[in-house]
Amino acid sequence: MAAPMELSCWGGDWGLPSLHPESLTVMAYAKFSGAPLTVNTINKSWRTPKGDLPVLVSEDIVISQPAKILNFLRKQKYNADYDLSAKQGADTLAYIALLEEKLLPALLHTFWIEAENYCRVTKPWFASRIAFPLSLYLPGKMSREALNRIMLTKGGPPLYSLTEVEAQIYRDAKECLNLLSKRLGTSQFFFGDTPTTLDAFVFGFLAPIYKVCFPRVHLQEHLKQLPNLCRFCDDILTSYFRLTVSGHSPAGQDTADANLQKLTQLVNKESNLIEKMDDNLRKSPQHPPRKLTTLKLAAGGEESSPMSRLSP
Amino acid sequence: ATLCFQAFLQMCNLPIRVICRANAEYMSPSGKLPFIHVGNQVVSELGPIVQFVKAKGHSLSDGLDEVQKAEMKAYMELVNNMLLTAELYLQWCDDVTVEEITHPRYGSPYPWPLNRILSYQKQWEVRRKMKAIGWAGKTLEQVLEDVDQCCHALSQRLGTQPYFFNKQPTELDALVFGHLFTILTTQLITDELSEKVKNYSNLTAFCRRIEQQYFEGHERDSSAMAARSSKRSLLR
Repeated sequence: MAAPMELSCWGGDWGLPSLHPESLTVMAYAKFSGAPLTVNTINKSWRTPKGDLPVLVSEDIVISQPAKILNFLRKQKYNADYDLSAKQGADTLAYIALLEEKLLPALLHTFWIEAENYCRVTKPWFASRIAFPLSLYLPGKMSREALNRIMLTKGGPPLYSLTEVEAQIYRDAKECLNLLSKRLGTSQFFFGDTPTTLDAFVFGFLAPIYKVCFPRVHLQEHLKQLPNLCRFCDDILTSYFRLTVSGHSPAGQDTADANLQKLTQLVNKESNLIEKMDDNLRKSPQHPPRKLTTLKLAAGGEESSPMSRLSP
Repeated sequence: ATLCFQAFLQMCNLPIRVICRANAEYMSPSGKLPFIHVGNQVVSELGPIVQFVKAKGHSLSDGLDEVQKAEMKAYMELVNNMLLTAELYLQWCDDVTVEEITHPRYGSPYPWPLNRILSYQKQWEVRRKMKAIGWAGKTLEQVLEDVDQCCHALSQRLGTQPYFFNKQPTELDALVFGHLFTILTTQLITDELSEKVKNYSNLTAFCRRIEQQYFEGHERDSSAMAARSSKRSLLR
């Protein structure tokens, strides 16, 4: 139980600890169950990621998928589902399947396939966190994998073209959001007052849709019409993840918070450097607008870009 | 999958006739089996069929409230996600089963070499899909464990009730019945899959109950069932 556990995952922005749904799920579960994880976010100085994040390393064991990581944590006695009845455990599995079938395709599409979102937000963000020359290749690969997954699982006849598949997956996603909202109702978490695995998964999938500022946002708009889901995400972010620079960490996981603090300091230093570079680049006549956006977005995670929305 | 529809339509008290055809996949508007042919309309896949039947005035889930409907949809996705994918995996990704059972069965209506070509093509398609959703790396044991987890969840949800949502059968009951009955009665190389399901006595009782209630006494159905190769009857 005392073996140190390290989680490697994608970092965060726009007020989130991570942009990647699966990484976010694992981080949320670790917070809920009190598991002491050292979180290492991928940035340029790390070994190049294999693309299969998040990865948990504990002594010599390497585990890579969220479901397996959660199982491992449960075996180490970090169990957030302790108080659930058997029926609630079964419901958890069912709702997770619902999320993966109905919501995940639309999430992947918003991030990786929608052309404007991908070119202006996703690709620059991920490329800036991967070392050159992998940064030229890996985002493209992730995008192709996402497209593959969507077309193979949803693109069977009679939906032959991408636009028809898109319409279908967004319809499914909106229905899924409505179902989740009905199920959550007015309670704080899905099974009463304490968060469980299902809450971690729902948070992992919803928070990126809710917070990341994309040019094309109709799924986010739909989500904002469901106030109980928005409140759910905000509650978890404020209670379990304190990302303000001056915020004090909640009880437990001091190492994770120390890392977060270091990360924020690093980001602040980088943002000062970036501002200097920004000034230089402004004077350059050939500067493409895309890079400006990236720089502004990367500067301390604040929404200073003209096209992005204010966070709620 | 055919059984899910038959069960569903029987539950709605709608009379049906089952016909087996070799080119059925091509007759279906979406390429997926089974499909129903009503008057001059052809509808395929469970979702659209349920809606079609609902539009005609028959629905099984009207008595459910919103939260229960959400649960039902979630469980249906679980069944599709786990059981259907596991069935596909076993049929097309487990080498022994593929060689001995699936290839001959899939290619049987066609002459050589078409039968081999078509079944290889289908196998390649299914393997590609498995890779995209991350199941390609799973071993048979892991797949069986997943099936076990799914059955465990279904068993917990069913408990001691006659149907998943108490007294009345719903689309979920039809879907679960279809899959479990297929698993329990289709002969494969090993019995491990059906053994997993048999571990849960309330699930086997559930299947038996639905079979008795909706399929017994419909003789024409037994001829359709006999047309599916390698079937043996559900344990008495």
